[in-house]
Amino acid sequence: MIKADKLTKKFTTYKKEPGLSGAIKSFYQRDAIHKYAVKDFDLDIKSGEIIGLLGPNGAGKTTLMKMFTGIIVPSSGEIVVAGHVPSKREKAFRKKIALVMGQKSQLWWDIPALDSFLLLQKYYEVPDSKFNKKINEMGEMLGVTELFDVHVRKLSLGERMKLELMASLLHEPEVLFLDEPTIGLDLIAQENIRNFIKEYHEENNLTVILTSHYMQDVQALCKDLVLIAGGEKAFDGPLKSFEKVLGHKKSVYFTFKDAISLDDQFFKEKDVQVLKGGREIELKIDESDLRDLSSHIIQNYPVIDFHTEKIPIEKVMKSIMKNPEILNQ
Amino acid sequence: MSHAKKWLQTMKISWVKNTAYRFNFFLQVIGPALIFFFVKYSLWKTIYKSSPEEMIQGYTFTAMITYHIWSFVVSMIGQGHSALDMAVDIRMGRISSYLIYPFNFWEFHTASFLSFQILQIIISIVTLGIFLATGILESLSFFHFFLGLSASIYVSLFWFVLQYLTGIIGFWLEETWIIRVSLQVITVFLSGAVFPLDLFPEVWRNILDYTPFPYLTYYPIKIFMGQEVPYLKFIYTLGAWLITVLTINTIVWRRGIRNYTAAGM
Repeated sequence: MIKADKLTKKFTTYKKEPGLSGAIKSFYQRDAIHKYAVKDFDLDIKSGEIIGLLGPNGAGKTTLMKMFTGIIVPSSGEIVVAGHVPSKREKAFRKKIALVMGQKSQLWWDIPALDSFLLLQKYYEVPDSKFNKKINEMGEMLGVTELFDVHVRKLSLGERMKLELMASLLHEPEVLFLDEPTIGLDLIAQENIRNFIKEYHEENNLTVILTSHYMQDVQALCKDLVLIAGGEKAFDGPLKSFEKVLGHKKSVYFTFKDAISLDDQFFKEKDVQVLKGGREIELKIDESDLRDLSSHIIQNYPVIDFHTEKIPIEKVMKSIMKNPEILNQ
Repeated sequence: MSHAKKWLQTMKISWVKNTAYRFNFFLQVIGPALIFFFVKYSLWKTIYKSSPEEMIQGYTFTAMITYHIWSFVVSMIGQGHSALDMAVDIRMGRISSYLIYPFNFWEFHTASFLSFQILQIIISIVTLGIFLATGILESLSFFHFFLGLSASIYVSLFWFVLQYLTGIIGFWLEETWIIRVSLQVITVFLSGAVFPLDLFPEVWRNILDYTPFPYLTYYPIKIFMGQEVPYLKFIYTLGAWLITVLTINTIVWRRGIRNYTAAGM
């Protein structure tokens, strides 16, 4: 469904010194800065997959999304999305895709969402019966039916995002690009959006590419993920393999009633970190040892609480951002 | 047929957007044209003050005011449109959605322009009615009004493609307002919006006839006033300029879109 081969985007900007003298100087002397936003990027996504596209700010995620949707033209390399070259921007291609940008509204600000929907219905040539069915179904799923007649500028961010999602799905796209769809939303709204995407995907089996800084989005929706760092692909594979990048170790946290001493022989050969003045420890252990070691600690120490790390993927991301070399080890 | 529906719905949305903030719309669109008219009215009143019956290059005070009433109508219908937001939208990366919809960017803007024109024509007719009722405009020939209206609509097409060009230059320039303001000022003076071109030396008038300027205001006013106008020359000269700017727009768009970075997305 989506195939990229040695995809590259190079941006050229010009240095400009501050102030009036800088502005005058820039007329006759400009120093160009060339920067690769994306370099030699290969990708192969099959129909019906949901892929998480991750990476730190400035890694090239959004540049990739812009190239996939035909908004910007690649400097070199090839892309084919749903059988089309996006940069040609053929109408048949535009009817097959949809893009939701968390940081930019696609709904017209000064009119009710329903007016925007009606306009999009005409643009995508959606028959009336199908259109009515779609907005009723999705409106109910997202609980926003009563907001159709409200001016978009009067909606909360969460409400607007739900309507943005609806607008993007009216024409039943084959590929949906979601660029940080949950950014700035509260936890409940994030969960609503995630559930909707999941449910909609299960029913319609469309291909989804998702970028997000929230690992919960990726964990809830994606089986596979692609990590991009410095414009280059750093990881491409199942989420489970990504979680194992730091090895098969798991972090287990124990909280004790009183501070304990780590001089004990039991802890001497373990990868342990003392927290809260000895009242809590983080123990990095092999998954296979989890059961035995946990029961030993619970039986022999004054444990009042314990938990394994809830979001290992977040830790992997942080570790990779701090030290990208981990991926080569 | 379905394509016509896309245009109609876009026009409808544009109409709703334009009329959503009525007071704002009045201030931005009708306000400046009305103020400009009354500034010119005061200017010519002062000039003719000593001898109201005096003729300046064939214009009495009444004829001069009639000229400027029609100048107001032409500026509303022919040059009312502005691509004020387009360059900013390009620079801020706000046109991305329009590149994804299966309805082209130029189609969206042209449909919005047509909707705006309908509104402008209605406002012009109402204002003209007020001028007639209050006696500021002495008489009106419906035949010449419809001829003048057609000419003004033709002018508006040229003005639209010219404005569109100043908008898509935003692919390269961070600020395009200086170009727009310069264009506006040059047009006001060279098109006869302040001084009828009859007041210009003949050599100037002959040179100006090869430019689009006299066709933007002076000739449409003459048509409204029922005076002799070289209609064919009006149609083909402005037509040639229209095709020229359209061609430039196509080239600029094709090159510009390759420069587009969709900043801020």
